[in-house]
Amino acid sequence: MNNFRGGYYGKQLRVSLDSKKIVKENIDASILRKYLGGAGYAVRVLYDEIPKGTNPLLPENKLMFITSPLTDNRIPGGGSIMLCFKSPLTNAWGESRCGGDFGPNLKSAGYDALIIEGKSDLPVFLVINDDRVFIRSAKHLIGKKITEKIKIIRDELKDPKISVMCIGLAGENLVKIATVMFEHRAAGRCGAGAVMGSKNLIGIAVKGSHKTPIAQPEKLTKTIKTCLKILRENDFATNLKKHGTTGDMAANDAAGDWPTKNWHSNSWGKAEQIYDQFFNKYLVKNHGCYTGCPIACGRISEVREGRFKTPLHEGSEYESLSAFTAFVFNENIEAAIHATYLCNEFGIDTISAGAIIAFAMECYENGILKKEEVGGINLNWGNPAALPELVRMISLREGIGDMLAEGVKIASERLGGGSEKYAIHGKGLEAPAHDPRSGKVLGVAYGTANRGMCHIHPLEGMAYDSGKMDWGLMKYGVPDPNTVDRWDEKGKGKIVKILQDALILPDILNTCKFFMYGGIYIDHLAELLSAVTGWNIDGQELLEIGERVINLQRLFNVREGFHRDDDLLPERMKQKPAFGFYENEDRCVIKDYEGMLDEYYKARGWDTETGTPIKEKLLELELHEK
Amino acid sequence: MKIKIKLYTILEKYAKGKVSEDNTIILPKATTLLGLTRYFNIPDKIGMVFLVNDLPQDKEYRLSEGDEVKVFSFIGGG
Repeated sequence: MNNFRGGYYGKQLRVSLDSKKIVKENIDASILRKYLGGAGYAVRVLYDEIPKGTNPLLPENKLMFITSPLTDNRIPGGGSIMLCFKSPLTNAWGESRCGGDFGPNLKSAGYDALIIEGKSDLPVFLVINDDRVFIRSAKHLIGKKITEKIKIIRDELKDPKISVMCIGLAGENLVKIATVMFEHRAAGRCGAGAVMGSKNLIGIAVKGSHKTPIAQPEKLTKTIKTCLKILRENDFATNLKKHGTTGDMAANDAAGDWPTKNWHSNSWGKAEQIYDQFFNKYLVKNHGCYTGCPIACGRISEVREGRFKTPLHEGSEYESLSAFTAFVFNENIEAAIHATYLCNEFGIDTISAGAIIAFAMECYENGILKKEEVGGINLNWGNPAALPELVRMISLREGIGDMLAEGVKIASERLGGGSEKYAIHGKGLEAPAHDPRSGKVLGVAYGTANRGMCHIHPLEGMAYDSGKMDWGLMKYGVPDPNTVDRWDEKGKGKIVKILQDALILPDILNTCKFFMYGGIYIDHLAELLSAVTGWNIDGQELLEIGERVINLQRLFNVREGFHRDDDLLPERMKQKPAFGFYENEDRCVIKDYEGMLDEYYKARGWDTETGTPIKEKLLELELHEK
Repeated sequence: MKIKIKLYTILEKYAKGKVSEDNTIILPKATTLLGLTRYFNIPDKIGMVFLVNDLPQDKEYRLSEGDEVKVFSFIGGG
């Protein structure tokens, strides 16, 4: 028996790979009430269990797979799993979400979370089938690409539908941008695949048959119906289905939100043409990442012939295609699709991979990397042939790929010669395809994001400033975006605080963030959560939980030595673009980033000199014991 | 004055029945970009960016004969 009316099993699975010990542990209901699940519950556990200064690639690091009460195929956006760990790329808090059926299957196997610890002496994979949990040798999986690994595991288990997450060759090689893949969906950022590889854990297969208890089934059915009606009538949801995230390429280029040529500019003027080619020639159909998704924004594409011939696959999302076009100044869409496909097969993050190649191209242009040092590859800007080749070399740590596999921060420190200014990252995480020179909220959101410069948490900055989206948050203190000029700096720090507290909730509740763009706001999430758990939770309480989680993640980073300086932006990101639509636009320039940061810290209740939460704030959030 | 126009993604539906086959519309002289969005009945609360002859312009910008206008909004997602 447990103390939950619904939404939880009150159980977590702890797998110690050193001893091969598998333990089912009870979870304290009072902790889940304060942290809910996903990145929230994970930071509560990992703050206590990962000692300060732990090398992320040693056995002392832990890797959590966490669900939430809303991890359920019936819940709109409920098909996700959250992975949390200390990042080998940043040495900071690491988290990474993956869409698909793995999360719902782990949940229906009867577990709210899975904790992986230690290191196996030999490569293994883990199988979870309700109460039956066992470890098998993965020796025969080593050196195989993702699709092949998944097939072998499913064949071996005689279960063609079992959900599998696994690492690719990059994870085996401890590449710091390695992903953990669910088919061609990635837990992409921060190097979760390297952590899993460091534990000699090659894959996890999971299948569940339980039906998670629901406290108020009728209320839940009614709330789901309301949400589905909202989605059906919402233009954003309709267009996500038709165009996917990739459909925003032309708009973002026009808005100055499309970082180009390693951030020399915030626009290029080529996105419309590139997207039209993709949509008309290479896009085959849309696809839902989890069974039952009512939006289904995923892109299935293929290149039927030519030197970049690529089989039918899922990929080519906005970030991936932008990374292999704009970042690297490449107009060849076939090469971009192929490079994205290879990233997913080798198991590396498309965003970081594109950013690293852009960095390498700029080093090459400036003589910091010579042709003989890069294996004779022509690394001139936009050379399409270089893209798949470098993806392979990074994944296999071959030649120059070995250094690039460390990410741009470490690579630039090793290369020297002024290459540091070409390394565009936040806290060590390569910057994604949104540009704060299009609107200043994004600048503060980028600088202060706990996992570094990611595409998920700070995205709301661009969508608020340029898209004028408010996600139903005006009642919680966010100013009407139509009264806020995207170029203004004053007031943006305060706005970021509320946006962050609210838009971390999909990562705590494991719900797809795109559903918030489709009209499912935090009040709807609160209704869904209340119906599932029987707890009486409203939007305000969700915001408070969001704030608590952000502060505890911040404390995790502070303990690792992060401070105000780590919240600063790369200089290039603040400067006037060198070319493109906005080359004569002075308002793009970020003039007083430090002033925006001060305002943000004050809104957060953090010390403005150090960026550390002050005692009173921790007391208010019941984090004073940390 | 005659203006060449293209509306993208979530804005496409506002063009239905209002744009001729050669992708043009007729507007009074010196109509602003804000006036253009009202011609299409696009709600003011939708965030938009405008390119006029491939240059970004604010909504107060006054259009001229023969201008080529692209109006974008955002689906969201990243």
